[in-house]
Amino acid sequence: MKRKKYNIIFSVILIILLFVILYFAKLYLDDYKSRILNLCAIYTILGLSLNLINGFTGLFSLGHAGFMAIGAYTTALLTMPIPIKEQNFFMAPLISPLDKIVWPFLPSLILGGILAAFVAFLIGAPVLRLKGDYLAIATLGFSEIIRVIFTNTQRLTNGALGLKGIPNTTNLFWSFGIAVITLIVMILLINSSYGRAFKAIREDEIAAENMGINLFKHKILAFTIGAFFAGIGGGLLGNLIGAIDPLMFRFFLTYNILLIIVLGGMGSITGTVISAFIITISMEALRFLDESINLGFFTIRGIPGLRMVVFSVLLMMVILFFRNGLMGNKEITLDILANKLSKKPLTKGGVKR
Amino acid sequence: MNMLRTENITMKFGGVTAVKDFSLNIDKGEIVALIGPNGAGKTTVFNMITGVYKPTSGKIFLKDKDITGYRPDKITSFGIARTFQNIRLFKELSVLDNVLIANHLRIKSNFIEAIVRLPKYNREEREMHEKSIELIKRVGLLDVIHEKSSSLPYGKQRRLEIARALATNPSILLLDEPAAGMNPKETEDLTEFIKEIRDEFDLTIFMIEHHMQVVMGISDRIYVLDYGVTIAEGNPNEIQNNPKVIEAYLGVSEDA
Amino acid sequence: MTLELFLQHFANGISLGSLYALIAIGYTMVYGILRLINFAHGDIFMMATYFAFFGVLTFNMPWYISFIVAIILTGLLGIGVEKAAYRPLRNSPKISILISAIGVSYLLENLSIVLFDGRPKPFPTPNIFADVINIGNISIQRLTFIIPVVTIILLFLLLFLVNNTKSGMAMRAVSKDQETAQLMGVDVNSTISFTFGIGSMLAAIGGLMWALKFPQIQPLMGVMPGLKCFIAAVIGGIGNIKGAVIGGFLLGIGEILLVAFLPSLSGYRDAFAFILLILILLFKPTGIMGEKIAEKV
Repeated sequence: MKRKKYNIIFSVILIILLFVILYFAKLYLDDYKSRILNLCAIYTILGLSLNLINGFTGLFSLGHAGFMAIGAYTTALLTMPIPIKEQNFFMAPLISPLDKIVWPFLPSLILGGILAAFVAFLIGAPVLRLKGDYLAIATLGFSEIIRVIFTNTQRLTNGALGLKGIPNTTNLFWSFGIAVITLIVMILLINSSYGRAFKAIREDEIAAENMGINLFKHKILAFTIGAFFAGIGGGLLGNLIGAIDPLMFRFFLTYNILLIIVLGGMGSITGTVISAFIITISMEALRFLDESINLGFFTIRGIPGLRMVVFSVLLMMVILFFRNGLMGNKEITLDILANKLSKKPLTKGGVKR
Repeated sequence: MNMLRTENITMKFGGVTAVKDFSLNIDKGEIVALIGPNGAGKTTVFNMITGVYKPTSGKIFLKDKDITGYRPDKITSFGIARTFQNIRLFKELSVLDNVLIANHLRIKSNFIEAIVRLPKYNREEREMHEKSIELIKRVGLLDVIHEKSSSLPYGKQRRLEIARALATNPSILLLDEPAAGMNPKETEDLTEFIKEIRDEFDLTIFMIEHHMQVVMGISDRIYVLDYGVTIAEGNPNEIQNNPKVIEAYLGVSEDA
Repeated sequence: MTLELFLQHFANGISLGSLYALIAIGYTMVYGILRLINFAHGDIFMMATYFAFFGVLTFNMPWYISFIVAIILTGLLGIGVEKAAYRPLRNSPKISILISAIGVSYLLENLSIVLFDGRPKPFPTPNIFADVINIGNISIQRLTFIIPVVTIILLFLLLFLVNNTKSGMAMRAVSKDQETAQLMGVDVNSTISFTFGIGSMLAAIGGLMWALKFPQIQPLMGVMPGLKCFIAAVIGGIGNIKGAVIGGFLLGIGEILLVAFLPSLSGYRDAFAFILLILILLFKPTGIMGEKIAEKV
């Protein structure tokens, strides 16, 4: 019980420290670097939410890009100023109430998350009866349907043209603030009785059901919560980049998030966070592969797409040779850190309360 | 008082009849065994009672309540718990987590109350822990409470499965070959153990078992299944001397 | 709608359907033997068109030689993919193999963007396919007739192979029970390789005809047909070859007729297959020809 108090105090200190660092980062980092940091935080949110569904509950869902699209479009359409909306919708006017409404960022984000969760709830009813690869294809299919719908609803989403001039509201405080909230919610959820039920479903559905766990209820719960955070992540992403279109939300986006959770370890929260940072930063760091580099006297021609080849090879390597990723389903907890720091031998980590 | 009753339950898979017109009657507090050669349909009977399969025809009653066709989790919440022939623990999870999970069905807090750790949830969580640790202590696994369940030796996994089933607060416990793979000493302990938990937790027990020493030692009554058909029913003495049973186990004699 | 127009649409539907059917067969064969959705199947289909493209344009081969080379290369590619990405994981959890399959698909797509350039390329169409045939008031490309004929011939060859040859028997044995098949002396590894080879070659033939019908190739061209043909296989009952063909035809004809009768919904054409998938999974999850497999408890 004492340990729990220490943990809370320690966590609060860590969070305060993080935001002090962010304050200075915001002051001194250039746009490019702070954008990468923003992406790290957003991919953390997306990775955690996909890991809840795939890693902890064992449902192999590939629908994340669709949920992100819902969040991104909702947030963008609600936060864009009216003149920008008019500029965007020159082909056909935006449907009415939306063309006159401008909401602040936070409620827009939350509504984006809620709509994504609502769609997940509707989709979940038929889809979550499926297992394994059938579920994967069906969720991928739904994510594509969402994209097809968004391409065709000219007056709602501006179709294939996408939306431009979305206010760049997302900054380090927003992205890291929400990432920290997501992280805390996930930790609390996973270590609750509901989290244990999710893991039971992952381990053995038949045994879980025979131990009284309502499979459908818990699967849809995990799926909906995951979609909620995917929607929020999508909203943050749209208002970071400033422009979105349906092509952005192809299955490639889902694959990138999948790569994060596979590398981090399916079923590890800390693994996901670490991996989200590694993947996002290296995706930027390897950008030179795609672009030409001018060395003054001669230019190395970049090969567009080479970067993604590297990442697809990485995904293959991890799954073929290090199937557990960085962390497997283990966690770095404050207890372990404290033990490491004080060089005490690792006790069989006290009953989690 | 009648605890579990089935009326002519039949299970067909395509054209194959796995179990035909199985009728069962178990009173409260009884230990009843279901025996029969391999492939006789014993586990299918369990699967019908626990809702894994929906019987093709027939009805199942728990304390005179019709439970036919309910989902397994519902049936567990009504008070039927089971173990599996090929142990089905949550392999990657700890012994404690395995037992805690079986408490989840009685939880009253919703997931939001659980995430924000309302006092109501914290109290429930504490009660679950106390109950689970008590059960783990009861089956003698306290020293391995934080071990991964798949790392336990076979006999301990069997006991953990029973502890997990007990955590759902059952009124009747279905054991699918609890003594399978155990040595004579373990088997003897198990026999004692089953009797003890019956008395301690006020249980009724229905079990599938091959081990005749166990079956004859503790059963009040025995049902014998062969090719899906009930060929005999009675107390251990009657079953041991029943020619049909002997025939089913030893095969039909040459000149028959 | 006039009768002529309807017939024209119908003919188009048949030819699209036979393309779907050819590709769906590959999915069904691989699923039948490994219980795995080969996510990379659509990309293998794409690779075939590039092989043929470079055969004709870079190596100046006549189209028929180039096509044959492309089909063989694609078969080898399929075998290679299985060896490198699926075989090492055969005893791992299903989810790992699935991720590996996604990895292969992702890799092939990105690799071909790098190697072949992301921009669409025009696919050379020999005149023999492009000629237009006039029947009464209907004018139809000769290709529209060739595709179903090729599909039917291949289907019969394949059914013969599976049902009446030794390799076919091995395939059926492995799909029923790998371990037992091995004990009975079936070489499981080479049977699986063989299945991948055949499945990929069928995908190649499908891909080449696809490229003749829609003569533009690009690295992501296999994705949508790949997903749709998987759906066709599910509709027909996955693991069942005849089912895959039926599913392919249903999907192809359905899609064309949807666009023909409800032009306002033509933008949603790609969603049609997925909606069909959800419906079939809800009401008859085993598909039209599939058998139910109960999980052992």
